[in-house]
Amino acid sequence: MKKDRRKWLCAPLYIWVTLFVALPLVYVAGVSLCKRDAVWGVTPEFTLENYRALFNPSYLRVFADSFRTSAVAAVISLLVGYPFAYAMAKSSPARRAALMVLVIVPFWTSALIRTYGWMLFLRANGPVNSLLKSLGLIRRPLKLLYTPGAVYLGYVYTMMPFAILPCFTALESMDWHAVEAARDLGARPARAFFTVTLPLTMGGVMSAVTLTLVPSMGIFFISDLLGGGKTVLIGNLIQNQILTARNTPMGAALSMAMLALTALILWIQRRTGGETRIL
Amino acid sequence: MKKLLALILSVMLVVSACGACASAEEEKVLNVFTWALYFDYDTLLAPFTEETGIKVNYDYFDSNEEMLMKLEAVDAGTYDVVLASDYILDIARKEGLLLELDKEKLPNWQNLNPAFLGQFYDPDDAYCMPYVAGTPLIIYDPEYVDFPITGYESLWDERLEDSVVMMDDARNVIGITLKTMGESFNTTDPEILAKAEEKLMQLKKNIRALDYNAPYATMISGEAIVGYMFNQQVLYTLQERPELEIVYPEEGLGFGIDCCVIPKNAPHPDNAHTFLNFLMRPENGAAIAEAQLMLSCNQAAEPYLSEEFTQNPVLNVPSELLESAEFIQDVGDAQTLYMDIWTRFKQY
Repeated sequence: MKKDRRKWLCAPLYIWVTLFVALPLVYVAGVSLCKRDAVWGVTPEFTLENYRALFNPSYLRVFADSFRTSAVAAVISLLVGYPFAYAMAKSSPARRAALMVLVIVPFWTSALIRTYGWMLFLRANGPVNSLLKSLGLIRRPLKLLYTPGAVYLGYVYTMMPFAILPCFTALESMDWHAVEAARDLGARPARAFFTVTLPLTMGGVMSAVTLTLVPSMGIFFISDLLGGGKTVLIGNLIQNQILTARNTPMGAALSMAMLALTALILWIQRRTGGETRIL
Repeated sequence: MKKLLALILSVMLVVSACGACASAEEEKVLNVFTWALYFDYDTLLAPFTEETGIKVNYDYFDSNEEMLMKLEAVDAGTYDVVLASDYILDIARKEGLLLELDKEKLPNWQNLNPAFLGQFYDPDDAYCMPYVAGTPLIIYDPEYVDFPITGYESLWDERLEDSVVMMDDARNVIGITLKTMGESFNTTDPEILAKAEEKLMQLKKNIRALDYNAPYATMISGEAIVGYMFNQQVLYTLQERPELEIVYPEEGLGFGIDCCVIPKNAPHPDNAHTFLNFLMRPENGAAIAEAQLMLSCNQAAEPYLSEEFTQNPVLNVPSELLESAEFIQDVGDAQTLYMDIWTRFKQY
């Protein structure tokens, strides 16, 4: 009897998930099988046309571009984030807490506002160009904003904490005696790192890759703001299809495809033995 | 999701409607729905509340399409006055979401400029009250542009490599490409559109940025030296950089009118009519145009406009140019063609 009642405590969770996750998903899937109405909205008429249209070369390219942008950003975040996490794990508790604060604090401001900050920073009349100009290094302002470099900078900046935190957790909970043993047995630091530390923290690394790759696939304001709106990523495309093209069914089909892609990434991560943990 | 939202909102609506059905007189409330700052508080909303005792609730949207989605979700209720763009109100009218205006309650209707009436989105002037009008113009920095800019065609010039900012908008940018070919903004012919796409691709190397909401920031900072943007945005740019120059494109102007409508199931239609009539007073018509920095649709308001406003070339487009200006209208199914071209253009 008591056990039964305890089960009911979970009911809000199930209701929440059903109402706000499962039902909307079913709705999106349903819409993706309908036709666009010429005037507005959706005509409830069954069609697979939207899924066929996914294989339109320009949409395939959008998926490829999004994946490439996210993957490059994920790799750079990892290459910078891992050493940072390593340094954090190795430092004294006080210092570690300070570093942790530095990682977390940017989350207190909206990512959108921080991206606007980067825009002001990189502008033709912004601080970087003004400094270079006053030092006499350049005569005309450098074109920093609205370049692919600015877009990657924005992605890496936004995703970095998601790379640092799982790596840090893995490094912190690792048994460092194994590294000492390797060093005692004559391994050089680099060798000890690649044969002991890295394999032992691979789970964290995989989590970091997933946590940076998956969310960055859906972000579109960074490429719009820092790239000058000159590219189309999946996020933009879905937004454009639903709002501007007023093709809700196509937007729904693209969302389903994106879900499938992220599910695939998560599945690969599971297969390679990673588990997603932040702390 | 939309249906669920509609359900929840309609339940809320029924509950609130029953609160009101006890009294025959409308409660002193007006719910308006438009872009942020589009009804100026100091010159319009505050005086209106003071005069009539009707409290105004202001709800915002970001885009016309968002507006229409929400209006549909609440079954054309909740809001009493909606202010949005011509083409989307055309769709709302065709979808039967609008209430026919009662001209008896709108004696100030006669103040409106007939040039802005009887348009495609409302041929019989039954639903839409024109609020302000606008036309996109070209603006450039004469310090860096050493050849004459005369129209859209000039934007393709190779001397402007990586220097042009434009609105991130398929219909406007593909539209001006069509104009350079002597075609209409609203063509639905796939062959003409294919040719326009070819030409549009050559524009890509000149594009510094595509930005719908704040292209003026890119001009002000000197990031771009030529811009094509809505005249309100041109004025923002000129306020910071008065040395820049404007061009009325020789191929013909684009044109748009933003209008006020009353949704079909508006909870306070009487208050809505009172408000619209208030907006059409000559002095308020002038206040609207001056606050929004757009063309006035109110003929009787003209004597009330400041000299600064009437002397401004951005707001006083020669009338012969306005007559040949063309609306961007809804193109139905061809909208997807335009969007596909736009996607390829951005990827190029």
